[in-house]
Amino acid sequence: MKPTPYVGEFEYSVLLAVLHMDGGDDAYAVPIRALLEERTGRPVARGALYTALERLEGKGCLRSRMGDPTAERGGKARRYFSVTPLGVRALKAMHASLSNLSRGLEAVLEES
Amino acid sequence: MTPPAANPPIWAERLLRRSVRDPEWRESITGDLREEFAAMAARLGVAAAGRWYWQQTLPLVVRFLAGRIVPAATPARHRLSIAEVEQQSALGAGWLREVRHAWRSLWQRPALSATIVGTLALALAANAVIYNLADAMYLRPFRFKDVDRLVLVVADIVGSKPYIDNVSVAPADFRDWTRSATTVTDLRAVEWWDPNLSGVDIPEQVPGFKVSPGFFELLGAQPLIGRTFAAEDGQPEAHRRAVLAHAFWERQFAADPGIVGRTIRLDGEPFEVIGVMPPRFAVPFGAQVWSPIAYDEKTWAERERGYLMVMGRLAPGQTVATAHDEFTALAKRQAREFPVTNRERPASVVSFTRGLSDEAVGAFVAIWQAAAGLLLFVACANIANLMLARGTEREPEFAVRLALGASRGRLILQLFIEGLCLATMGVTIGTGLTAVAMQYSKSALPAGVIRYVTGYEFIGVDARVVAAMALLAVVATVIFSLLPAIHSSRAATATSSLAAARATTGPARRQWVRSFLAGAQVALTLTLAVASTLIVGAVERATNGVLGFDKRGVMTAELTLPERPYESHERRRQFTAAVLERLQALPGATDVGAIHTLPYSGSSTSRPFSPEGAPADAPRRDVGLQRVSEHYFTTMRIPLVAGRPLNAGDRPDLPPVALVSQALAERYWPGLDPLGRRFRLSNDGAWITVVGVTADVMHDWLTGRREPTVYRPMAQDPTLSIAFVARTSGSPEALARGMRAAVTAVDPDQPLLALRTMDDVVVEKLAGVDYFAKLLMVMSGVALLLALTGIYSLMAYVTARRTREIGVRVALGATSAQVTRLAASRATRIVAGGVLTGGALAAGLSTVMQTALFGMVVPNPVVISASVVVLTAVTMAAGYLPARKAARQDPWVALRSE
Repeated sequence: MKPTPYVGEFEYSVLLAVLHMDGGDDAYAVPIRALLEERTGRPVARGALYTALERLEGKGCLRSRMGDPTAERGGKARRYFSVTPLGVRALKAMHASLSNLSRGLEAVLEES
Repeated sequence: MTPPAANPPIWAERLLRRSVRDPEWRESITGDLREEFAAMAARLGVAAAGRWYWQQTLPLVVRFLAGRIVPAATPARHRLSIAEVEQQSALGAGWLREVRHAWRSLWQRPALSATIVGTLALALAANAVIYNLADAMYLRPFRFKDVDRLVLVVADIVGSKPYIDNVSVAPADFRDWTRSATTVTDLRAVEWWDPNLSGVDIPEQVPGFKVSPGFFELLGAQPLIGRTFAAEDGQPEAHRRAVLAHAFWERQFAADPGIVGRTIRLDGEPFEVIGVMPPRFAVPFGAQVWSPIAYDEKTWAERERGYLMVMGRLAPGQTVATAHDEFTALAKRQAREFPVTNRERPASVVSFTRGLSDEAVGAFVAIWQAAAGLLLFVACANIANLMLARGTEREPEFAVRLALGASRGRLILQLFIEGLCLATMGVTIGTGLTAVAMQYSKSALPAGVIRYVTGYEFIGVDARVVAAMALLAVVATVIFSLLPAIHSSRAATATSSLAAARATTGPARRQWVRSFLAGAQVALTLTLAVASTLIVGAVERATNGVLGFDKRGVMTAELTLPERPYESHERRRQFTAAVLERLQALPGATDVGAIHTLPYSGSSTSRPFSPEGAPADAPRRDVGLQRVSEHYFTTMRIPLVAGRPLNAGDRPDLPPVALVSQALAERYWPGLDPLGRRFRLSNDGAWITVVGVTADVMHDWLTGRREPTVYRPMAQDPTLSIAFVARTSGSPEALARGMRAAVTAVDPDQPLLALRTMDDVVVEKLAGVDYFAKLLMVMSGVALLLALTGIYSLMAYVTARRTREIGVRVALGATSAQVTRLAASRATRIVAGGVLTGGALAAGLSTVMQTALFGMVVPNPVVISASVVVLTAVTMAAGYLPARKAARQDPWVALRSE
């Protein structure tokens, strides 16, 4: 079994966003970026997103497939992403470590 | 089906497509952008969407090109393989990346790179400054149209003296030449004039010349306003017309455009201004005003004295040599026709530039240029050494990269770019340094000598010079940076070169080259050091050495009386006597005197000397002629060696008398008593009796102190130019006001040319040489610095490479002293070789300098040996320090360094 890869903070966000879209027609760069910006409230650089997607695929956390060309994209295909089981494990590991770290800090973290 | 959307900016998309290498990413990324572009276009319109598209693509393109996003052309697992990168075509990978790589590699050794860049910048700046100065002052000081067709005709033998006597032609000889010469056309005469300007707020003596009509046309100069001299201005009594120089017109007449037709007073006479010349025309010798030569028949017939400068244009097809032959023949004919005046008179033709330049400047400029060349050699040796060291150090890197599949061309390209980067930085800094240094060099020229600095107005940074220097730098740096690459890529197999590179200090041949380069630096630096020390010594001797007079505590006031009002000798005598009387009465003045031209003032008069009893056809040699007041010698503290001093009894109505200098007495009456002997200073002149002998005085540093000189009493031969001298026990400056008042009281219209201490007269006369000497000193300092850096870095490098060997030796029981000796032995050999060669070079150079600088520089064994000792000491120290460091280190550290 492959060791669980480590993902950084931005990669973690990207993985979560892809998971939201999982399997659907929206699991490509444009809606992923829109979702990220909407949920985090921060602008996401286009280049940074492509880098993260590409790197996550390299780590085996994401897999991608090319869709069919569409006219509204000038005849260009979409690259759809989905989270691999390894990606899910990386997410879980990251999530667990964050939860462990924040345990006992609920009073600080969750006050509004 | 949605209607086909508007297309995004085509160039932006093409750029994006180019920058993404992976086809799938390329398609999806451009597709994403198209999709969003369509949405933007629908919301904001096509134009705004187009701008938005550019804003989105440019950062992406930069990111992809910068490689921060790995292009993913290959599967992820291969991406970090160096071999893959090495095998990519170097050119295909883009120059930008190569430059970035080179930059990083240079930054890994910041001190080394900075040393190389600094060395390059200094050497370039030194050479550019020297070449710019030489160009302005000596090579091209005159920039008229066809200046290389212009010549000067002189009644002098070129090369017989340190200078060319360019003011030497008699009017009658000139007139003969204009009638018969065929090789030189448009002959024009120029006479030194320097009139006093009066009728203005501040009267002044203006540097001026009388010139033949056609003078300006010969030089291709057009007036800015008005006209220049026409033929009718050369008629007798038509001479009261003046052309002004631009600077003079601005200074004294506020650039008045209505100046033409106005009358100004020169030497007390009215002159009509007929024209103004354009800026920067001040020929010859900083001329500010010109009037026409309009001699009467009597003056034109003058054959005895030569006081004209003659210039002309070579006829088509003629050269300086053919013209010289013709004028030599003309002079021979004149010698036959007029034996009394012309028997000993030669004629020579020289190029205009050479004839009007100071020969001494040429010698100094040549020495400067040689020094700058030496400096460039030292710098090149230094750079070569540093680059070779760096190359050897990187051999393992190259070996590894070759093993991983990098091509030879790839490595060479990278080193080429590194060399280019170094050269670019060196040239940039060097150009900046040049600009600053040129500005400084120009302002450091003392005001007193600017008039005699031909081409002063052209001193500046010449773009062509900088370009040539830049080219030189690039070629030199690139060659030296490529050598190691060519070497390592030639090494048969990567592993063997890897082993060799790691072993010790690189192949023996290259070690030899490096030692040779370091030794050459020592030798050249020693040569430069000796040369500059000798020149500085010469300047010091000429300033503070044995001058024959006491320059301390003396104030001087120089002036020139206008010719017309002071035509009669009686008036001149009265003026001088009245001023001297007032000076004597000044509080603080202990002695006062007057002389025609001060020692060190730069001007002098000479006359052919014929002692009584010499055969009539014996060759006559020129001696210096001075006119002095009776107390001049006591004021200047020049001792009387024999006979009596001049006194009030030497009146104009009595037989003429003179004092002669010791050198003159020894030349003409060796072993005899000169007192009471008689001589003549011209063929038809009166016999003059020697009444006393004075000690020798240094009148001019160029000719030395033993110039034979005749001193005539001013009362018997009064002159228009007079320098008053006054000695005080206090500060000489305190006398200045009183001296000015004394002159004004006697003649209120009389401007003083200069009021300065005798100390300043000497310093100012030598200011030009001093300037040369100081610049040379700076250059040899720079060379020393470079040589020290070179030796230190070489030794540090060599010992660092031998760290392991030294560690083994220490571990096996070698003492620290033994190890130091071992490490320093190489430095010793380098220094010894360098010093021996340099010593021989310096000895040779000082002999050459002695000849080139007219005996001013004396080869001095003490100076040479002192330079040798100092240079040996500092270079040995530079070699010893790294050796000691190596010997002191812990052997285990040394052994582990692999």
